[in-house]
Amino acid sequence: MKHKIKNLHTAVKDYIGMLVALTALLAIFGLSTKNFFTFTTFRTIANQIPAITIMAVGMTFVLIIAGIDLSVGSVLALSGAVLGVCIVNFKLPLPLAIIACMGVGLICGLINGFIVIKWKLPSFIVTLGMLEVARGAAYSVTGSRTMYIGPAVEVITETAALGLSLPFIIAVVIVIAGQFILARTVFGRYIIAIGTNEEAVRLSGIEPGPLKLWVFIICGVLASVAAVMHTARLSSANPNEGLGMELQAIAAVVIGGTSLMGGRGSVVSTFFGALIIAVLGAGLAQMGAQEPTKRIITGCVIVAAVILDTYRHRLSSRKIT
Amino acid sequence: MSKRRIIWILLTGAFIAGIFMSGCPKRNGGASTRPEVALIMKSLANEFFKTMEEGARSHQSMHADEYNLEVVGIKDELDVAQQISLVELMIARQVDAIVIAPADSQALIPVCKRAMDAGITVVNIDNKFDEGVLADKGVKLPFVGPDNRKGAYMAGEYLARRLAKADKVAVIEGAPNAFNGIQRKLGFEDAMAEHGIEIVSSQSGYWEMGKANQLASALVSEHPDIKAFLCANDSMALGAVAALKSAGKTDILVVGFDNILAVQELVKAGTILCTIDQHADQLAVFGIEYALEMLENKTAPADRQTPVDLITAKELQ
Amino acid sequence: MFKACGIHKSYPGVKALSDLDLDLRAGEVHALVGENGAGKSTLARIMGGIDTPDSGQMHLNELPYHPQNRAQAESSGVRMVMQELNLIGNLSVAENIFFDHLPNRFGIVNTNRLNQDARQIMQRVGLGDIDPGIKVRDLGIGQQQMVEIAAGLSQRCRIMILDEPTASLTDKETALLFDQIKKLQTERVGIVYISHRIEEIITISDRITVLRDGKLVATRPTGAVTSSDIIRMMVGRDLSAETCKRQRKPGQVALRVKGLSHRDKVKNVSFEVHRGEILGFAGLMGSGRTETMRALFGADRADEGKIYLYGADTPARIRTPRDAVRAGMAFITEDRKEQGLLPALPVRMNITLGRLGRISRLGLIDAARERAIADEYIDLLSIRCRSCEQPVRQLSGGNQQKVVISKWLHKDCDILIFDEPTRGIDVGAKFEIYQLLGELADKGKAIIVISSDVKELMAVCDHIAVISAGRLVAQFSGQEWTPEKIASAAFSEYIKNPTQGHQPNEA
Repeated sequence: MKHKIKNLHTAVKDYIGMLVALTALLAIFGLSTKNFFTFTTFRTIANQIPAITIMAVGMTFVLIIAGIDLSVGSVLALSGAVLGVCIVNFKLPLPLAIIACMGVGLICGLINGFIVIKWKLPSFIVTLGMLEVARGAAYSVTGSRTMYIGPAVEVITETAALGLSLPFIIAVVIVIAGQFILARTVFGRYIIAIGTNEEAVRLSGIEPGPLKLWVFIICGVLASVAAVMHTARLSSANPNEGLGMELQAIAAVVIGGTSLMGGRGSVVSTFFGALIIAVLGAGLAQMGAQEPTKRIITGCVIVAAVILDTYRHRLSSRKIT
Repeated sequence: MSKRRIIWILLTGAFIAGIFMSGCPKRNGGASTRPEVALIMKSLANEFFKTMEEGARSHQSMHADEYNLEVVGIKDELDVAQQISLVELMIARQVDAIVIAPADSQALIPVCKRAMDAGITVVNIDNKFDEGVLADKGVKLPFVGPDNRKGAYMAGEYLARRLAKADKVAVIEGAPNAFNGIQRKLGFEDAMAEHGIEIVSSQSGYWEMGKANQLASALVSEHPDIKAFLCANDSMALGAVAALKSAGKTDILVVGFDNILAVQELVKAGTILCTIDQHADQLAVFGIEYALEMLENKTAPADRQTPVDLITAKELQ
Repeated sequence: MFKACGIHKSYPGVKALSDLDLDLRAGEVHALVGENGAGKSTLARIMGGIDTPDSGQMHLNELPYHPQNRAQAESSGVRMVMQELNLIGNLSVAENIFFDHLPNRFGIVNTNRLNQDARQIMQRVGLGDIDPGIKVRDLGIGQQQMVEIAAGLSQRCRIMILDEPTASLTDKETALLFDQIKKLQTERVGIVYISHRIEEIITISDRITVLRDGKLVATRPTGAVTSSDIIRMMVGRDLSAETCKRQRKPGQVALRVKGLSHRDKVKNVSFEVHRGEILGFAGLMGSGRTETMRALFGADRADEGKIYLYGADTPARIRTPRDAVRAGMAFITEDRKEQGLLPALPVRMNITLGRLGRISRLGLIDAARERAIADEYIDLLSIRCRSCEQPVRQLSGGNQQKVVISKWLHKDCDILIFDEPTRGIDVGAKFEIYQLLGELADKGKAIIVISSDVKELMAVCDHIAVISAGRLVAQFSGQEWTPEKIASAAFSEYIKNPTQGHQPNEA
């Protein structure tokens, strides 16, 4: 019982920085726009976060092993394109098309991971290569054309339970599952250990290679799941989608306090990070801010959120000692 | 010297040799006297340019005895430096004519002037060169292409007839540094101003569906009384349509631009009110034909406008 | 011209130098000898301004000399060529030689002059046929060492400190170096020469100072001593008294290694360890002890060699640490922070890492069980920490080492390799670890201990193998060993042929 209370206490402390940032953002947007606190706004945000959240969960795992995956935006475009082609050109039923789409993510992740491990290359370089390759493949799959898919995929967004759309529910489930894997399973323990000190893990008789490969595969598959959500929301597939989305995902993860140096991270925090990014996007659009303003503000918020997070860390480590 | 270094030197050498060989004028070997036309495009990954390229290729295959065609393009619409080096490459290859859709309306002028000094006929398509800089450099080269501003005005005009005075609309712009994007935005504004319709917000969707979707979602929630979205391309119109659908506001009108394949069903169904067809497939062809004409007749360059058509459900029946 | 009196220096947990006196005359070669950790390098670092003494006086040409950093020492004319190369691989030879005083005008380097000056200096050290513009990275180790010496010569120099300068030089290069040293002597430069190679020292030096455990043993003219005198002075006589322990009954052979080789670091090493036995590995630092164990454990892929486990007739296939661990081997590495611990993670995660299977079901970790097991080991080895949730980073060296050992005890291995298990930990914890080693052997584990501390090995081991320049040169058991025998075996390969130990990589 004592443990439970302590857990709750530390949990609140863990997320307090982001809650503060989020509340501040909501307050600012609430004051500076007419209709921010409306049902439509929150539905809009709820519609937009699934894709970025799911992608960011995969990114969290990669960052924890001290890697990075820059290809997720392109992989999203490619998987979305494959989804579109499967439905529109091959007339496949939706479930099969989704399987094909996730297969694409799996293959991309597998290739990334395999090259990183086999040739001991920095994942930055390898996934940068995949960023180009997957984007190119997306263009050639679609013939550089936007594809209107229509009701065939809209089913996904239109399904809802308890007033929440299916993508939102899936995203929450993935977040919970991700956090559970990280905190409670042997696999999660291993990847945290690898991110902390890979050589020590290897000398403890655990081969890091296969574990790292799985992490890249998970990241690729989650990018393709994000592609399903993204495509369903837009009812169309466009090979230009997801440009720069990898950076948004990384921002969400970093805002959540995951270290780029590996070994530390939380999926739930990543969810808050994604939430901050989404609220920021929606709020700035509602304000009608021009592009330069938007970019400057977004940049500042990302850095400010990370600074806030370091304070939270100092605070909590001081409490222990 | 280490083995690895030798291999590197060999590889680099082979690479450079490859570049030079591909850069050699082809005419030396062949007996062909057909003029060489180089079509230098913006992004080949963009649907609009893709269509343009395909139109040019099919035109060439139908007139194979009249000219040879080489199509090159850059990675994305913003890679100005690479496009400059493509023009230089074509000068080195001594082509007869260059038909170019410039990625930047100013930065490409000097290199095109060099091409003209080298005796190459240059025709500007799609994105018009900056008049001021042209005059400043003393360059005269013909522009063959559509008037984006006029196209946007036509779409805006069509929309305005369905709205009342003082109604509210929003514009979703293209990339803020794209000439055609700016022209389209201006065209929309012309039409709205003329009919006294208020633009409550005008933001950039970077030609992207996802970004436009986010913008449209936010804007309907901020301005529930909005009556229409004017989008600078059809992909963004699709994004807006999806946003309106999920917000349950299907009575809001959406205007697109480019008449891509993906929107035709939606235009037919009335989900998208109208779009503009610039005849992308013919655009490059017009340029090429004009270049050939100039080669043959040595006529003085003059601008030539290509057709811009309003597409509504009626046209697609 | 240089005098040091009463120098004291302590590092946390270690007394590196105590009450040390040294004087250096102009134009002499003064050799510093001693075992690993005797304090030679510490003294050199203090002279070179890299470390400052806790107390004591130094005088240079009758003036007080207390450099706060390397730059100050160099401006007084004291230059140091260190054991670890101090070069920047991506810069050219010339740039490295003149690194802190590049000839320049308004910050723009005058490359012509740079290369000319460099060529001159390089000729002096026998690098005349090398282009000064070549990158240091592309040189062999021996040549790099000469560049380092050349850099030392590039400026006015009164005292030159050479720390193991010949460790990676060929015969020819060594001869050139000696010529250069003689030339410096005629220029009245005082030279401090640190080396393990007794023969070399006898050839080149004028006087020899022997250090042991941070204390001065003696300073003698080189002509007055023999190499065996030097070794005796280095090791000291009082050691053998400490050897006392219970007799253990070794069981069956647990591990037999035949002809293990790895690059030029490990050369045809064979030995065996029985259950219930502790086998020590003595030798100088860098002699290939750690490399032998890494090859054995699969941490580095061995080039040759067979490993037979638990009396099997067919050799075991050990290509990765995973194979080794599955075969029941454990490796407590020398470098805890880099290779043994997960520093930022709690004690409990470090202890259970090797055997998560024991605290998990279907891939799920049972947190309560994990804490219970961690607490059990914290208790067993009396690890001092606030709780099993404290990050190991915050523990002291000795407690960190206990955490690493706990990890392997929890893994329950039969063959345990300890590489310098007591390095950097305090005396109390050392004693606890000796005790633990004995207990493990009594339980029938086969144990290998590497240590640079011969006393330690004699106190805990049943047998001691000595590695010298990658070869297993001798194996002593029970009563036959003496510190002198072990030390001369450790030096043997280096005395025989000064260049054999490290084949320089010829570019």
